[in-house]
Amino acid sequence: MNTDNCITLENVAIGYSGKVLVKDINFSLKAGEFVVLFGPNGSGKTTLFKTILRIIPPIQGSIRYGDGHPTRFGYVPQRQFLDEIYPFTVEEVVLMGTFGQAKPFCPTPKTNRVWIEQCLKDVGMLDLRKKLFSELSGGQKQRILIARALATRPNVLLLDEPITGIDIIAQKKIIELITELHKKRRLTIMMVTHEVHHIPSWVNKIIHIHHYKVVLGSLEEIISLSRIDEIPTEG
Amino acid sequence: MEQFLEIINPHFLLRNAFYAGLIVGFVCPQVGIFFVLRRMILLGIALPQVSNAGITFAFLLCTVGWHFFPHIESEKAMALTGSVVFTLIAIFALAILERKRKGFTENRIGFTYALAGAASILFVSWNPYGQTEVLSLLRGEIVSIPDIYLWSMLAIYGTIFICLVGFHRNFVLVSYDTDMAITLGKRVNLWDILLYLIIGIVISFGVMTVGPLVIFGFLLIPAITARMITRGILPFCIVSSVIGTAASFIGFYISYRFDLPTGPTDIAILCIILALLYIGKILVRLKR
Repeated sequence: MNTDNCITLENVAIGYSGKVLVKDINFSLKAGEFVVLFGPNGSGKTTLFKTILRIIPPIQGSIRYGDGHPTRFGYVPQRQFLDEIYPFTVEEVVLMGTFGQAKPFCPTPKTNRVWIEQCLKDVGMLDLRKKLFSELSGGQKQRILIARALATRPNVLLLDEPITGIDIIAQKKIIELITELHKKRRLTIMMVTHEVHHIPSWVNKIIHIHHYKVVLGSLEEIISLSRIDEIPTEG
Repeated sequence: MEQFLEIINPHFLLRNAFYAGLIVGFVCPQVGIFFVLRRMILLGIALPQVSNAGITFAFLLCTVGWHFFPHIESEKAMALTGSVVFTLIAIFALAILERKRKGFTENRIGFTYALAGAASILFVSWNPYGQTEVLSLLRGEIVSIPDIYLWSMLAIYGTIFICLVGFHRNFVLVSYDTDMAITLGKRVNLWDILLYLIIGIVISFGVMTVGPLVIFGFLLIPAITARMITRGILPFCIVSSVIGTAASFIGFYISYRFDLPTGPTDIAILCIILALLYIGKILVRLKR
C-alpha cells in the first residue's frame, strides 16, 4: 500500500455561516486507505465530508490535498437528495461524471461513451443503461451513482451514506462492490455512515465524530464509545 | 388549405407575427425545461408579470415626458428597457433570497406576482395613452411586429438558443447536482447567473413581443408535456421545442382561419396537446 498522504487536515474547524460545529480536526488520509467517517445524525459528518470535497470552506485551519499529486474526487451523494423530476436515463447520469473535462459546444466524444460503458460494467449495471434513473430501486441507484463517481476517473472515492435506506441484501452487495473497487482499482475510499453495523471490520481507519470532537480509532473502540453513550446517566 | 398556403407565403401580410410566434414556440421551451426541472414553475408565472410591470412603467414615463432615449421616437425601446430592468432585478433578488434561505420561496414569488400585477394595472390606469398597446399585449394579440423587431428577436433568441445548446451540460449539471458540479471544478454561481440572465432576457423580450400569457404558456406547457412522454434529457429538450413550434404553427393557422386572438389560441392548442398526450399515456399504460 502506498503511504503518501492524500488528504491532510490540520486544526480544521467546520460549520456553516461562521458558526463552528466541530473544531480541532486533525487527521490524514493515506493513498489507498479505506476510511469510515462515523457519527450520529446531526453530528457534522456531512459537513466535514463536504469540507473535504471543497463544497463548504473550512472556518479555520487548512486542508492539504495530494502532497504534490493531483487529487481527483469521485463523489457519491445521498441518492434521496437527487430530484427524480429529471428524466435522466442511467447512461446520462453516468455521463455526468465526464462533464469535468467536457468542452462546451462539442458533442460527447466516443471515448467517453466507451468509458461510461466500462464504468457501468464495473458496477454490474450495463444492462440497465437505457432505463430511467428514477425507475430504479435504491440499491440500483446507488450502484449507478458509484459508476458516475468512477466516470470522473478518481483517485479518492467519497461516499455519503451509501447503504442507508436500502434492503440488507442490497447493502451487502454495495459493500462488496466498494470493497472490490478499493482492492482492484487501489482507490482511496472515505465512506460516511451513522450506523455502526454498516462499518466493515477490516477498514483502515474510523473517524468518529463524538460530542462535536473528532476521535480516531478502531472498530472496537468506536463500538465501546457508542455503548458508553447508550448508558443512562443520573439526573 | 387556401389559408394555410397564404400563411406560409413569404409575402403574407402577417408573416412577422407568424415567424415571431414560431421563434417563441421553439426557444421558450428550452428555457422552460429549467423552470420545470428546477421546480420554479411559480417563477414562470411571476416573472412575465414583473416584465409587464416594467413595460407599463416605461409607457407611463413616456407619457409624462421622461425619455431614456430622446432621439428614438418610438417608446418601444424604452418599454423593452423597462421590461429587461424589472425582470432582471426581480430574478436576481429572488435568487439571492433563495440562496440566503430567507422565508418560503412560494411566499416570495406569490408576493412578487401580486405586487407586479397590481403595479401593472396602476401604471396603465395612470396612463390612458399607453393603455391600448398594453391591453393588446396582455391579451396576447400578436399582430403587428415590425421587421427590425423580428430581426432583433431572431438575433437575441438565436444567441440564447446557441448558448443553451452549447452550455447544456453545465446548466444541467449545476441544476441537478450542485455538489457534484463543485467537485468537478464548475463555477456554480457563474452558471446560475448566466442561466438567470438568459431567463430574464427571454421573458422580457418575449413579453414585449407576444405578452405575458403567451410567454408563460410557452415556457411551461411544452416542457411539462414533454416531461410526461419522454425518456432521457435529450429527447425531453427536443420534444419540448417540437411541441412549442407545432402549437405555434397550428395556433396561428386556427386564429387566422377563425379570426381569433393568436396568443390565447396558441395556449389553448398547447393545453389540448397536453391533454391528448396525457390520455394517450394512460391508455398505453392500461393496455400493458
